[in-house]
Amino acid sequence: CNLCESIHAVLYAGEDTITVTWSLDRTAVPAGGDAAYEKVKVLLCYAPVSQKDRGWRKTDDLLKKDKTCQFTVVEQPYSGATASANVTYRIKRDVPTATYFVRAYALDGSDTQVAYGQTTDAKKTANLFDIVAITGRHASLDIAAGCFSAFSIAVLIFFFFIEKRKVKK
Amino acid sequence: MEGGEKISYPLGIEQPATAASTDANGMATETRFKMPVDSDHKATEFWLFSFAKPHMRAFHLSWFSFFCCFVSTFAAPPLLPLIRDNLGLTATDIGNAGIASVSGAVFARLAMGTLTLVTTPAVYYTSVIRSANGFLLARFFTGFSLASFVSTQFWMSSMFSPPKVGIANGFAGGWGNLGGGATQLIMPLVYDLIHKIGSTNFTAWRIAFFIPGFMQTVSAILLLALGQDMPDGNFRKLQKAGDKPKDSFAKVFYHAVTNYRGWITALTYGYCFGVELTIDNIIAQYFYDRFSVNLRTAGIIAASFGLANIISRPGGGLLSDWLSDRFGMRGRLWGLWVMQTLGGIFCILLGKMGTLSSAIVVMILFSLFVQAACGLTFGVVPFISRRSLGLISGMTGGGGNVGAVVTQVIFFKGSKYLTEDGITYMGIMILCCTLLIILIHFPQWGSMLLPPKSGATAEDYYLAEWSEHERAKNYHISSIRFADNSVREGGRSQRGGSSHSKHTVPVDALPSRV
Repeated sequence: CNLCESIHAVLYAGEDTITVTWSLDRTAVPAGGDAAYEKVKVLLCYAPVSQKDRGWRKTDDLLKKDKTCQFTVVEQPYSGATASANVTYRIKRDVPTATYFVRAYALDGSDTQVAYGQTTDAKKTANLFDIVAITGRHASLDIAAGCFSAFSIAVLIFFFFIEKRKVKK
Repeated sequence: MEGGEKISYPLGIEQPATAASTDANGMATETRFKMPVDSDHKATEFWLFSFAKPHMRAFHLSWFSFFCCFVSTFAAPPLLPLIRDNLGLTATDIGNAGIASVSGAVFARLAMGTLTLVTTPAVYYTSVIRSANGFLLARFFTGFSLASFVSTQFWMSSMFSPPKVGIANGFAGGWGNLGGGATQLIMPLVYDLIHKIGSTNFTAWRIAFFIPGFMQTVSAILLLALGQDMPDGNFRKLQKAGDKPKDSFAKVFYHAVTNYRGWITALTYGYCFGVELTIDNIIAQYFYDRFSVNLRTAGIIAASFGLANIISRPGGGLLSDWLSDRFGMRGRLWGLWVMQTLGGIFCILLGKMGTLSSAIVVMILFSLFVQAACGLTFGVVPFISRRSLGLISGMTGGGGNVGAVVTQVIFFKGSKYLTEDGITYMGIMILCCTLLIILIHFPQWGSMLLPPKSGATAEDYYLAEWSEHERAKNYHISSIRFADNSVREGGRSQRGGSSHSKHTVPVDALPSRV
């Protein structure tokens, strides 16, 4: 359905959790093809809508320069061709407000990506979810900012007053 | 000029080290100055590491206050990688806020202490913003504080005698601009500290903004409590006592806007100082994103751009004075053109550097030339007009900010150009706009390519700003004094047969030939 794609689950950083499950796709990988896999790294990745006009999140085919996936969910040893693994991840408090998908890379011994899978399609439009970040604001900050600002203005008025008095003399 | 020589006047008046003098009303004043002063009680020497009251004290209060304004105005750029994620900013939002941060000062003309305190709430407000709009407003109002540049320059020219105004302005301006570099070091360090203590990162950056807020508040209080407007006291007191005649603002304005040289320096200052402001806004994020260094490292690299101001801008002022000594005003103009053009060349190269170390080296060279050009600009500006000096300085300073606005709008807003290409194009624009310096021509001193008109004198040039009617009332006397002091701008050839010494001499009373 057309509207379905724009209705995403909304999760809150610092509060909600995501459970990610992954296993080897045996139709895509021939027997023994996973011999090099040593680790699996699962990442939170920005969807295209959150990359727009934000060059620091750009997708680049050269993986060294690629900035699509900036948050690690988990990095753990590869559990083999037959097992499936999962992790429950509480969204960290430094994750910004954006639309995301999850990607898992299989890494070899030298930490080079050799295979991947993701929760969305090739166009990165299906099955996305939103995360809402913490604001970082606190009532104490608001109060402190207000007090110091008022103090600055009060000091200014005080000095104006003093100078006017000096001139009158 | 250097060395504190005592100078005797034709009328036999010596310069006392302590002035138990009489003021214009003939009343004895008990003022005692630690420094040697001229007849206006302006210091004739510049002692950088002294706090002598009131002159050097004014200098230190002035540059430090201006420094704090710079720290606040550019406190956000080194923390942008965090702020952009906390507020969900796009490249366009960041660009707009960068533009806003430098556009306020184009219009504001308030006095320093007032400006510094009035803009302080904007700094504290940054700690509580929630959106791209809040970010824009915070940077816009904080940026107003940079207008205190004009007051700094004006205050220095009230405290220091003509031969020393250049160096005083150069140091005050340069050490103030230093704030734009220091902040790139201070903010990431403060953030790191707060983050380590335990705050989450989206809160830690907000707390960090209290530091520039405190600095501004404290420096403004010191300035208002300890500083005075003029050597003899505060301006309003003197105006009431009748010592400072008021000039007609309409006339001053007219003579400022009809002097084409002021417009040229306004434009060219946009391509040295304006470029400096632009770089302060974009460079930390540039290094962070392009070379993948961490926040603290990006801050250190960005800081070294602004920190070069400690010597480069005053150095530019000194170079201007030295060139003038040998070649007169033409030397000043050539020096400005050469240094600013070299700055443009290194700017072009900066965008092309693909490795971290080469980019850092080119950036530092770029900073030295572009900041020296700022110092050299204000070696020329004081001579453009005598009557409208304040306004011309203001126009030039404002032009600097306009240049920053225009450059950021064209090249650094949104995602139209990659930042490295924007930097290269900005360099090309510097080269083109700097060519206009060739057009600055003084009838009495010439221009870069043309010699002076024979028979034209400095006196004619400065007296042209006063009408017959005004001259009859002797309003123009200080312009005559200034014209005599600028004899040196004719270069060594013009000075050949003159009996004046190599150094410009503040003239005490009416010149004997009038």
